[in-house]
Amino acid sequence: MAGPNRRNILLGLGVGAVSAVSARAETRNVDDAPAGHAETAAKSVPFYGRHQAGIVTPRPAAGIVAAFDVVATSLDDLERMLKALTLRAAFLTQGGKVPTRDPKLPPADSGLLGPVIAPDNLTITLGFGASFFDRDGLSGLMPARLERMAQFPNDALEAEMCHGDISIQFCANLQDTNIHALRDVVKNLSEFLVLRWVIEGTVPPVPPAPDGSTPSARNFLGFRDGSANPDSNDTAAMDRIVWAGADEPDWAADGSYQVVRIIRNFVERWDRTALSEQERIMGRIKHSGAPMDRPDAGERDLPDFAADPAGDKTAMDAHIRLANPRDAASQQNLILRRPFNYSRGAVRNGQLDQGLLFICYQRDLQAGFITVQNRLNGEPLEEYIKPVGGGYFFVPPGVSGPQDYLGARLIAEARRA
Amino acid sequence: MVGKYLKTTALALALGGWAGMAGAADPSLDLVGPLSDYKIYVAENTGKLVEDVTAFTAAVKAGELDKAKSLFAPTRTSYEKIEPIAELFSDLDSSIDARADDFEKAEQDPEFTGFHRIEYGLWHEGSTDGLGEYADKLLADVQTLNDRINALTFPPEVVVGGAAVLMEEVAATKISGEEDRYSRTDLWDFDANFEGAEKIYTLLRPMVAADAEFTSKVDGNFKAVADVLSKYRTPEGGFVSYEELTDTDRNVLSAKVNTLAEDLATLRGKLGLG
Repeated sequence: MAGPNRRNILLGLGVGAVSAVSARAETRNVDDAPAGHAETAAKSVPFYGRHQAGIVTPRPAAGIVAAFDVVATSLDDLERMLKALTLRAAFLTQGGKVPTRDPKLPPADSGLLGPVIAPDNLTITLGFGASFFDRDGLSGLMPARLERMAQFPNDALEAEMCHGDISIQFCANLQDTNIHALRDVVKNLSEFLVLRWVIEGTVPPVPPAPDGSTPSARNFLGFRDGSANPDSNDTAAMDRIVWAGADEPDWAADGSYQVVRIIRNFVERWDRTALSEQERIMGRIKHSGAPMDRPDAGERDLPDFAADPAGDKTAMDAHIRLANPRDAASQQNLILRRPFNYSRGAVRNGQLDQGLLFICYQRDLQAGFITVQNRLNGEPLEEYIKPVGGGYFFVPPGVSGPQDYLGARLIAEARRA
Repeated sequence: MVGKYLKTTALALALGGWAGMAGAADPSLDLVGPLSDYKIYVAENTGKLVEDVTAFTAAVKAGELDKAKSLFAPTRTSYEKIEPIAELFSDLDSSIDARADDFEKAEQDPEFTGFHRIEYGLWHEGSTDGLGEYADKLLADVQTLNDRINALTFPPEVVVGGAAVLMEEVAATKISGEEDRYSRTDLWDFDANFEGAEKIYTLLRPMVAADAEFTSKVDGNFKAVADVLSKYRTPEGGFVSYEELTDTDRNVLSAKVNTLAEDLATLRGKLGLG
């Protein structure tokens, strides 16, 4: 359709003719824009390391997950793609000056962050979907537990929001930083990647509690989310819960299984539900996050399900009780959650399209998310939530240094085979 | 025929005011040849468009449903090949080639006319009933377009930028199969858009040939597209339904189109046009 530019050309109007009438400003320009975030903008997360960043890294306020299909098929092309992505990720996460070009050419960078890119705690985390391994040379190297996400009973999966050859998770202090990075990747890897779906989420920064601890952020059901999450600073716990073990192809060591689920919340209906019912369904006190059997305690205090075998305090089908029964066996099913809330307008029926961009990491997809979700099937919360998309991915190990690249061990192992 | 176009071209080049008006540098003398060749190419296509639309609309008005359906896709190709020039006339572009989504009331919108309104009648409603008015208007519009284009001085930056514009067209509305949603003849449009882009690129290629990395990448991507599309050609010279395009091939086309758009977007700068 016509743009003003085209019209001006046809009418023979130069740029000057259009702008000549601009009024001389008498009023002062606005200078009360929100204070900058120079201190947090300068912070960066190391890109090189044994594991990819963005997993045990403290979760910043904004996240995006984008899933792509990969057009490359040969190992050589995959290597070019992975090297190109590694280069972009290494630059974007550490920041720096944007290269300048002849102004007659399209600029090298979208310019969203200005001429100097601030790292802003950006992490870029690559995951491989099961379909990525559906290529000559890779099929025998798929991580042992990776599979295509299958529908659970309460799911209503939308095909255009599911799966993908790869996932890229972007996390940063500001969503603009993530959007800039996504635009950069889309532009620089157009030869290899075709976008399948993308979703943005945020979590509110939470002010510290009086005792100095940081409470968990709230999800869009208004409950604190993540109270029982394992401590990502606990290296031993992460080795046990998050990092893929020895029973995987050699290349996959130090990687992790990533689950992404786009879980719509029926927020209008939830907001019309009695508080007592909401708390019974979740198994926590809404305002504090305390467990039901210790309503005056804090969110980090543990419920004693063993002392409540009939579910008098915490219902047997409460969300937190099904998700983590806290018995010896369920210790094998722990996962590290790193979710964001999403809000993306309205749906046709006039209801808000809001929900949880659920992301979790685990060393074993079956023992982790799939087992937990199977326990949750049929939970009362299902009346208020509807998973509509996402996928399962395997996050390969980190990049050791400038000579290394994401997935290098996979490609090397495929060449040897 | 050609003589007439050359005369127009000569006049256009003598006027030569476009680039200055848009604030661009004067096109280098090297562009004179490619621009005049391109003007001939466009004129041949608008001439063909008038001829084909005449036959197509006659079939519609005569109530020959099957004939009209068979002429729909091939008739459009000459428009799709020259879209960067045709869409300079936004009033005609809208009445000739707008899609139902461009209107608030979609198919029922009284402003919805042109190829896709007729396509809607022929395929969705399965009838030529009530299409006579649209057929008359379409024919009148393409005749006007032909006249205006023949009188037009081609802005060099529009021609040079046109290669990328065609790729943006494919990337934005063709890949998704939105363009010819009732007839599923989208692959005809794909092919015509690629041909139009490749024509411009081929005319300008000698001027950028020193950048061998660039030309070999662009050449390779055009060839990759042609290879994919050739799988879907019919023996009669047309294309099978868009629905037969596999996800894998659509992804390949999408990646190639976006990469061509990235690369061809640098043509203007490479030739010193702002």
